[in-house]
Amino acid sequence: MTKAEFEHGVAGGIRIHVLPTRRFKTFAISLYAGTPLAEDTVTSTALTPFVLRRGTVSYPETRAFRERLEQLYGAGFGFDVYKRGDYQIVHFRMDTINDSFVQSPESLLASSFSFLGEAFTQPVLENGAFRKSYVMTERDTVRKKLESIVNDKIRYAAERCIEVMCKNEPYRLHPLGERKDLDGITPEGLYEAYQAWLQQSSLDLYVVGDTSLEEVKALVEQHFKLNRTAEVEYAPSVIRQAAGEAETVIEQLDINQGKLNMGLRGSITYGDDDYVSALMYNGILGGYPHSKLFVNVREKASLAYYASSRYDGHKGIATIQSGIEVQNFDQAVDIIRKQLDDMAAGAITDLELSQTKAMIRNVIKEMQDSAFEIIAYDFNRQLSGRERSPDDMLAQVAEVSVDDVKKAAEAFTLDTIYFLKGQKEE
Amino acid sequence: MQSIHYDNLQETLYYEAMDNGLHVYVLPKPGFQKTYATFATKYGSVDNHFRVEGQNEVRVPDGIAHFLEHKMFEEPEGDIFAKFASSGASANAFTSFDQTVYLFSATENIKDNLETLIDFVQNPYFTDQNVEKEKGIIGQEINMYQDNPDWRAYFGLIEALYKEHPVRIDIAGTVESIGTITKEDLYTCYNAFYHPSNMLLFVVGGVDPEETMEWVRSNQARKSYEKQGSIERLFEPEPQEVAQKRKESRLAVSLPKCLFGFKEKQVGLTGEEQLKRDLTTKIMLDLLFGSSTELYQKLYDEDLISDSFGHEYNSSPQYAFSAVGGDTKDPDLLLSRIREEVDRLKSAGFQAADFERARKKKMGGYLRMLNSPENIAHEFTRYQFRGADLFKVLPVYESITLEDVNQRLAEHVDWEQMAVSVVLSPA
Repeated sequence: MTKAEFEHGVAGGIRIHVLPTRRFKTFAISLYAGTPLAEDTVTSTALTPFVLRRGTVSYPETRAFRERLEQLYGAGFGFDVYKRGDYQIVHFRMDTINDSFVQSPESLLASSFSFLGEAFTQPVLENGAFRKSYVMTERDTVRKKLESIVNDKIRYAAERCIEVMCKNEPYRLHPLGERKDLDGITPEGLYEAYQAWLQQSSLDLYVVGDTSLEEVKALVEQHFKLNRTAEVEYAPSVIRQAAGEAETVIEQLDINQGKLNMGLRGSITYGDDDYVSALMYNGILGGYPHSKLFVNVREKASLAYYASSRYDGHKGIATIQSGIEVQNFDQAVDIIRKQLDDMAAGAITDLELSQTKAMIRNVIKEMQDSAFEIIAYDFNRQLSGRERSPDDMLAQVAEVSVDDVKKAAEAFTLDTIYFLKGQKEE
Repeated sequence: MQSIHYDNLQETLYYEAMDNGLHVYVLPKPGFQKTYATFATKYGSVDNHFRVEGQNEVRVPDGIAHFLEHKMFEEPEGDIFAKFASSGASANAFTSFDQTVYLFSATENIKDNLETLIDFVQNPYFTDQNVEKEKGIIGQEINMYQDNPDWRAYFGLIEALYKEHPVRIDIAGTVESIGTITKEDLYTCYNAFYHPSNMLLFVVGGVDPEETMEWVRSNQARKSYEKQGSIERLFEPEPQEVAQKRKESRLAVSLPKCLFGFKEKQVGLTGEEQLKRDLTTKIMLDLLFGSSTELYQKLYDEDLISDSFGHEYNSSPQYAFSAVGGDTKDPDLLLSRIREEVDRLKSAGFQAADFERARKKKMGGYLRMLNSPENIAHEFTRYQFRGADLFKVLPVYESITLEDVNQRLAEHVDWEQMAVSVVLSPA
């Protein structure tokens, strides 16, 4: 299916991956910096990109920094901090239009690398550390972001479920860190942590667009001022077993609709041969509108608007989420448990199997039309050490049988039931 | 079949009007795996009072366009999602103020999936029982949005801006209003608004235009539609002034949410005239409130705004308003600071260099948007329903001058026309 493949190389201790193509009107650039999730670094690592986006040596003032992006025809520049397995990933993205569509006097790809390289490696400094006003303001920004999680009740309940379920492991940590750590972070301490992060993180740089590996390597060597000698590899996540009977936790907040979340421990991750069976398990259970959860919780019982499941293939855990009336809690849990039991018993029709295969096949093929999705898919390989091209994945999905899914179902155990309800009830 | 080539974008669009009036557009994207198709009717939440030529005037319950969208997915043989899944297509739909869109994306069985899309939307199946069942599901959807502070802030603003126009009604209606919906109501709306002449099919992706057009032609030839007269949408007169200056909602939030906006005095624009005003307003708002402006940076440093601060402009021939804001520790202080700074800019006008940069940024954003088949399909349809052409946006941007933007600033940012919506934690 895929004619074009990434070309891989290394420059300055950064793994480089380039997909030369003319399919898009843009150059898509992704830089991933991954470090193991750990209590003593999670907050400073999360804060770092917020400070980096304030100013560089060439553009020390934030307004000038942002005006520069606008001069590059409004190049998209952003970052995200999230968890993949037991890693905290800081992901920078740039999205710049291909010069051929506009009358630009400069090479927009070269200018983008110059911008990204400097943002990443040459922040504006003050007394040998980050600029103090930037650190102080961005500490507040991260604090507000952590505090605002509660505004989105669906997301809040999902995060609380993970915190409860993983209370004894790093995965409980929020990717943006912990509020209590923020006040103790100084410009000097953060700059020191930043330098260690530059040295020790696993770095992957991707480009999809009308360019070549050679051109990108040269641009990286020119614009990324790093003194790294070697690349840093990712290690696989630690698998934990569920502890006997599922734990139920009920919390209250001022809300209209109850949010029901469940966490399942699993033992299968992206690097395993039966990963694709686990993917099929999630798809049949709750990945799509034809899945058991949607059909039984929503369409048959009319209890919810959304009822679905998600599978984190790098951590090996699955989660279920649904929004219901508070008085329907027992009924909803019973229906969902019944679906889990059916999965484990192999009560799966050929139609469910073939529909889910068709949907997964579609997802894999569709990714090829989005530069950033192509990149995100290949990054799985860096994270897991497992090479599984889209074509391999398609072939493996085609082979999965009901028995394989049943076997995958046995690897998942319900661990936590979390329910967020309103304060008015009862 | 007509073909229209846009040289500066390196795109060719194919168009044909079917005998029954359906507008069909195909945009081939060579090298793309995916095909994305939208089947849209010019019918949304605001169309709750109407008259089809030669028929009686009808008034229907709030939220019915969205309810109808949900119910279309049910067919006598079962749920249509399952049928799409069997052909590897991911299907969905959404309802906005003025359109309802059904869609799928797929990488295989394109002909089958396209037929499924057209057929299910052209085959209503409502029963008393399936209408009742849906009330529970949509009731939960409404409750979900009630828990969402951004949604509450946004609809709070529209309610404050508009006194009569149904844009102020929540798209999904209320639990009470949908409670009164019957299958007869659904058929009434369906028959009025789902006639092919009120609909647009857009197909984008790795398809052959002539082959695709032929599939649609023969599909439509199998169905018979009587000619339908024009649809008259009836609206109470909307006063020029805002309905209320300030609206407060209560919901647990970490920081108050403050959204303010300006209600456009002049309505009734269509086509290129409206497009130009839209784009000019968007550049103007970006020059006032964008993240590279002096105002933004000052407010950020004063701890009055956060990354959540943003702006948008929403317009149709009957209503148009801006919405600006985000989380803030002090809504009143934020508003007074903004007023102070904006008044200063209003008397000075924008700088030419800032204007050029903002325009460049918007043009780049437009080109980046064209990477996404989804965005192309949605935006193209939205533009067509308002009489404009998505692929002619670049020349319009090029025609906009600094004077236009300064004039827009003077016109649109009129404090008399402003309303504010605030979401606060319960006292």
